[in-house]
Amino acid sequence: MFGYYFELAVRSLRRSPVLTILVVVLIGTGVASSMVTFAALRAMSADPMPGKSAQLYRPQIDNWGPANPDAHREPPLTLSYIDAEALLHAHAAPRQTALYQVAFSLVPADATRAPFAVKGYAVTTDFFAMFNVPMAYGAGWSASDDDKGTDALVISRRLNDRLFGGTDSVGREIRLDNHDYRVVGVAGDWNPQPRFYATGSIHVTTDHGDAPDVFLPFTHAVEQQVATAWGNYCRPDYKGTGWDALLHSECVWVAFWVDLPTPADARHYASFLHNYAAAQQRMGRFSWPPNVRLRNVPQLLAYVHAVPEQVRVSFLLALGLQLVCLVNVIGLLLAKFMRRSPEIGVRRALGASRRAIGLQFLIEAAMVGAVGGLLGLLLTGIGVYGMGALFTSKIARLVHIDAGLLGLTMLVSMVATVLAALYPTWRAAQVQPAWQLKSN
Amino acid sequence: MSIRILFSTLRRHSMMPALVLLQVAVACAILCNVLFLVWQQLQPMLAPSGVAGNQLILVDRLASPQRAFTTAEVRGGEVALREVPGVRAATAAFGLPMVRGNLMDIALQGPTGVKVGVNGYLGAGLIDVLGLQLVAGRDFLPSEYRDFGIGGTHEKWSAGGPQPIIITQALAKRLFANGRALGRLLTDPSDKNDLGYQVVGIVRHLLRNQLGLATNGRADDTVLLARRIASTSTLSYAVRVEPTLREAALRSVRKVIQQHFGALLPTGITARVSTYRSRREAVFKSQRAALGLFAGITLAVVAVTVIGIMGLTGFWVQKRTRQIGIRRALGARRADILRYFLAENALIVSIGVAIGMLLAYLGNALLMHYYELARLPWSWLPIGAVVMLLLGQLAVLGPALRAAAVPPVVATRSV
Repeated sequence: MFGYYFELAVRSLRRSPVLTILVVVLIGTGVASSMVTFAALRAMSADPMPGKSAQLYRPQIDNWGPANPDAHREPPLTLSYIDAEALLHAHAAPRQTALYQVAFSLVPADATRAPFAVKGYAVTTDFFAMFNVPMAYGAGWSASDDDKGTDALVISRRLNDRLFGGTDSVGREIRLDNHDYRVVGVAGDWNPQPRFYATGSIHVTTDHGDAPDVFLPFTHAVEQQVATAWGNYCRPDYKGTGWDALLHSECVWVAFWVDLPTPADARHYASFLHNYAAAQQRMGRFSWPPNVRLRNVPQLLAYVHAVPEQVRVSFLLALGLQLVCLVNVIGLLLAKFMRRSPEIGVRRALGASRRAIGLQFLIEAAMVGAVGGLLGLLLTGIGVYGMGALFTSKIARLVHIDAGLLGLTMLVSMVATVLAALYPTWRAAQVQPAWQLKSN
Repeated sequence: MSIRILFSTLRRHSMMPALVLLQVAVACAILCNVLFLVWQQLQPMLAPSGVAGNQLILVDRLASPQRAFTTAEVRGGEVALREVPGVRAATAAFGLPMVRGNLMDIALQGPTGVKVGVNGYLGAGLIDVLGLQLVAGRDFLPSEYRDFGIGGTHEKWSAGGPQPIIITQALAKRLFANGRALGRLLTDPSDKNDLGYQVVGIVRHLLRNQLGLATNGRADDTVLLARRIASTSTLSYAVRVEPTLREAALRSVRKVIQQHFGALLPTGITARVSTYRSRREAVFKSQRAALGLFAGITLAVVAVTVIGIMGLTGFWVQKRTRQIGIRRALGARRADILRYFLAENALIVSIGVAIGMLLAYLGNALLMHYYELARLPWSWLPIGAVVMLLLGQLAVLGPALRAAAVPPVVATRSV
């Protein structure tokens, strides 16, 4: 039966090629526009750390009060060293890390090779477990390394390949600026996008880019006066100079993360954070009531508008466009099916049931949908390729076609076409055989 | 042809017109919004910058948070830059076009009570260095400059009178009733102790550096203040060069900046030296991307609407071949048939467009609620409407011509 309907469908599609082509073009354009914008949206709103992101929280504390330039008095994304240190000591979360961006000039042991720049982060050892950093060799440093601020170093696989040809380099030494570090671990491939964990401004939080090269203990970096590579943000009246002044200032430059596995943990930490700010108010450091935030990764990404508004809006507009296409497809299929009323009449008179007619036309619609889907695939490919030329390369790298997208394109176009065909099919099934036979 | 006949036909066969109407409404709503978004993206790109773009090299990201650059270091950089072959003028500045790191926003209030938030550019001799066109008044006098720095020197204006200010033509028009601004006073509504500003000069154009606000005629909301950069923790330079020697000068400027500031910058901070042109290119990159996305959607909407109306009307004309034949046999000319179908399409599309404008407005309100988008001005609705009407007429032309070509003899044949 299906084979017969299939054959009928092919015959009918070939009989009115213009109408068929119009329907196919409409389906293809509609599905391609929503798929291209969907691919962009998917690339930019992908969960940077699936399964983990909901339990990683970033505490924010308003330590500027009325001097806060933000119109809504939103606390800054980073903390002052005073607050970061206090939170580290309080140890109110199962796992926690202070974090800031660093940059060094790496001097290779082989004197014939030129020094080069490396970027990374000063973190606590909890960082590796919190952010699912895999270890190719060795492991993160110990808790006592954190406390004592030793010269332990975790390097990226890329840096390990470059310096040690990919061999196990645990125990080897690396010279960064003027200080020797000892490699305790080599991280495997790890580069969540966007680099939400990074320090700093909204711009940096939504940054897409390469994986960090090195990680070193936060305490050590502070002791060695390793400056933050992102920069710090000070109140306009800040007059201090030098490292010690910075550590005792209200300048914000340290990102802080806590790992809170259960909602109860999160509630507990939120009240801890509130109490901390309240204590600062009692001590006279803050002259304003506690103004703190505890956002997890999805909330943080929404807050900083990690996905450009234009991308979201264009996806919605593309969905609207798809609707326009469907309305057209309904009309054109109606035209196509009603034109064949005499044929339906004959089939009905020969004993075909309404269901059989309905099935025949739905199969035909699904076929048109499949052909439209193929065109949609082609147009989606062109669109995604064009997107690579449009967007900054870092983001464009994330927009890609995969089997899922291909499957979705075909599925959407076939389902949409069959849905659009429901009314025309119903009308076709209602054709009265007597009317058609009489008029002929 | 009375409109009553048009309506009665539409009532009798309501499916096809209803589908055309529905798609026109949705397409019109999309088109109004997407064209407005395109315009929003385009405005800062089209706004004249006022600067001598192909003669300009900009240096920024000279930052030293721990220890501010001294006045001598800042001046030394200026002197060294001026000695570079091909350099016409150079000055340390705070706030420069296409440099988004250093922003200064100032609130200004004119005598008419209009308040405007503007961006301020500071630096000695900026008119000359940026190549601005002074259309009235004068540049700042050397005696008028005061020292300025972030986290360093910051001399307040305290000369007993208002401080001089140079504004753009657009600002002069907005802040003063008759546009005559020269010599007149502006105040800062946020600062009660402020002595105010006196307009001493007017430049033709000067693009602001908060480009997100450079829409709806606000692109030129920029002023110059009489400040000389002194000890500061963040520093930038504007360098004007001979256009023919630009590339060579760019390399030399890089070298000079490295020599002067390389040792003063903390690890990880590198100065950025590039031409105005390349910065403009980079700054507008995301704008161009969004523009491409929106342009793609616009094109698709136009294509889909034209194809759709063509297909639907084509079928509808075919269905009425016999009626057309009868009308022709009863004396209607080809032009009458053509006009009938064009009028019918105009009627359907008009109703669709009316609904579409409402949808566009609601859709925009909805988008505004969830995303930070600008409000769609009423004036944009007719633009989408006119475009849709033209598209409708264009799409129906083919089927209407086919209808007009139906010979009267059809009326005498059975189907």
